[in-house]
Amino acid sequence: MKCTEINELLPDLAAGLASAPPGISDHLHICNECAGKLEEFRKTMALLDEWQAPEPSPYFDTRLHARLREEAARQPRSFFAWMRRPAFAVSLAVALVAGVSLFEVRKIGHGHPTQVAETSQGTSQPVQPGTAVSDLQVLDKNQDLLADSDSDTASDLLDDLQVQQDVTANP
Amino acid sequence: MWKKRKPESSDVSASKEGTSASTDSQQDPQLSESNRVQEDVGSIALNHGLLAMGARASTAVADSIAGGLTDADVMLRVKAGDDSAFDYLVQKYRRQIINFMYRMAHNSAAAEDLAQEVFLRVYRSRANYEPSAKFTTWLYRIATNLGVNYARDTRHERPENVMNLDEPDSETGQAQDLADKTPSVEEEILRRERLAAIKARVEALPERQKMAVLMHKYQQMDYRQIAEVLKLSESATKSLLFRAYETLRTELKEFV
Repeated sequence: MKCTEINELLPDLAAGLASAPPGISDHLHICNECAGKLEEFRKTMALLDEWQAPEPSPYFDTRLHARLREEAARQPRSFFAWMRRPAFAVSLAVALVAGVSLFEVRKIGHGHPTQVAETSQGTSQPVQPGTAVSDLQVLDKNQDLLADSDSDTASDLLDDLQVQQDVTANP
Repeated sequence: MWKKRKPESSDVSASKEGTSASTDSQQDPQLSESNRVQEDVGSIALNHGLLAMGARASTAVADSIAGGLTDADVMLRVKAGDDSAFDYLVQKYRRQIINFMYRMAHNSAAAEDLAQEVFLRVYRSRANYEPSAKFTTWLYRIATNLGVNYARDTRHERPENVMNLDEPDSETGQAQDLADKTPSVEEEILRRERLAAIKARVEALPERQKMAVLMHKYQQMDYRQIAEVLKLSESATKSLLFRAYETLRTELKEFV
C-alpha cells in the first residue's frame, strides 16, 4: 500500500471515527512517515477540541415557539390562496373584460376589408386582411367608387346645363 | 401547543425505500456525546411539558421513539399537521444546530437567531417536504446556506480574535474567568491564545473546507453525509477534508 492511499483516511482515523483496516494498520507499523503524520493529526484534533460551544440560552425554546406560533397563525400559503383575494378577483375581471373588448374591436376592424374584397371580386374565397391581394382589391374598389362618383357628377352637370338652356330658351 | 390547527391526518406515510433517514440507532454514531440530546426527549415532552404540548404531542413523541420512526417519518407527520412532531425534531437537533451555527457565526446570540431561522425554514417548508434525502442532510443544508450567508454579510463587522482579559468574551458574552479553574493566569492566557488561533485558522480555510471541518470534527458527521450536504462526491469530500486538516496541522503546529 502506498502512503498516498491512506492520506485521505487519516482525518477519520485521527478523529477516532474509524478504525484502521488490517492493510492500513500494517502500513502504519512499517511507515514512520505515515505513523508520524497520523500522530500529528491526532494532536491537531485534540487541539481543535478546545473550541467548545456555549450552552444554549434558556430562552431559546421560548423565543422559537413564539416565532413558530406567529408562523402557524398565518394562513397556509397554498398555490391558489392568492387567487381568493378580492383585489385579484377585480383585476382578473377587468383583464377579462379588456381582453374580450380588444378581441371584438380587432374582429370588427378586420371585417371590412375582407367584405370589400369579397364583394368586389364576387368570389366566395375569403381574402385575408392586410395582405397584398386585399390591399389591391380595396384600391380597385375605391377607384370604381370614384369613377362612379365622377360619372354621376358629370351627368348631373349636363342635366343642370340642359335645364338652364331650357329656361333660357323658354323664359 | 403552539399551533391550534387540527392535524389533517395522523397517519404517517411510508417513506420511499432507501431514501428516508436511517433509524435512530443507525444515527447514533454521528453524534458526539456533547451533541447528543441529553435527555430522552420523549420524557421531556411527556413529563415536564417543556414545550406546552398536549395529548397529541405525547402520542407523536412516544410513537416516534417506541415505534422507531425515522426523522423523515416524523417530518411527514409534521407535513400532515402534527406540530408536536416538529417539537420533537427541534428538541432533538437544536443543540447540534446551535453549536454548528455558533462556530459559523462566532457569536452565541447570532447563532441562536440563525438556529431559530433554520427551524422556521424547515417548518415553513413542511408542506413541500419529500423524504428524498435524509432529514439531517436537509437540515444541515439549510443551516450551511444560512451560515455561509451570515459569514459573508458580517465578514467586515466581526471583531478580530483578540484577547482582552478585562472585557467579557465578545462571542459568548460571558465574563472572563481566570481565577479558580486554572492553575495560573499564564496558562489561561496561553489557552486563550490557542483558542483564538484555532478560530482564526478554521475561519481562514476556504468556505467548503471550513464547512466540511465543522461538520466532520464538531458534528461527527461521516464523509457520506458531508458529501450530501455539500453536494459533492464522497471521494471529493475525503480529499477536501484531508486538505483542510493538512492546512490546520501545519498552521497550528506551534500550538500542539
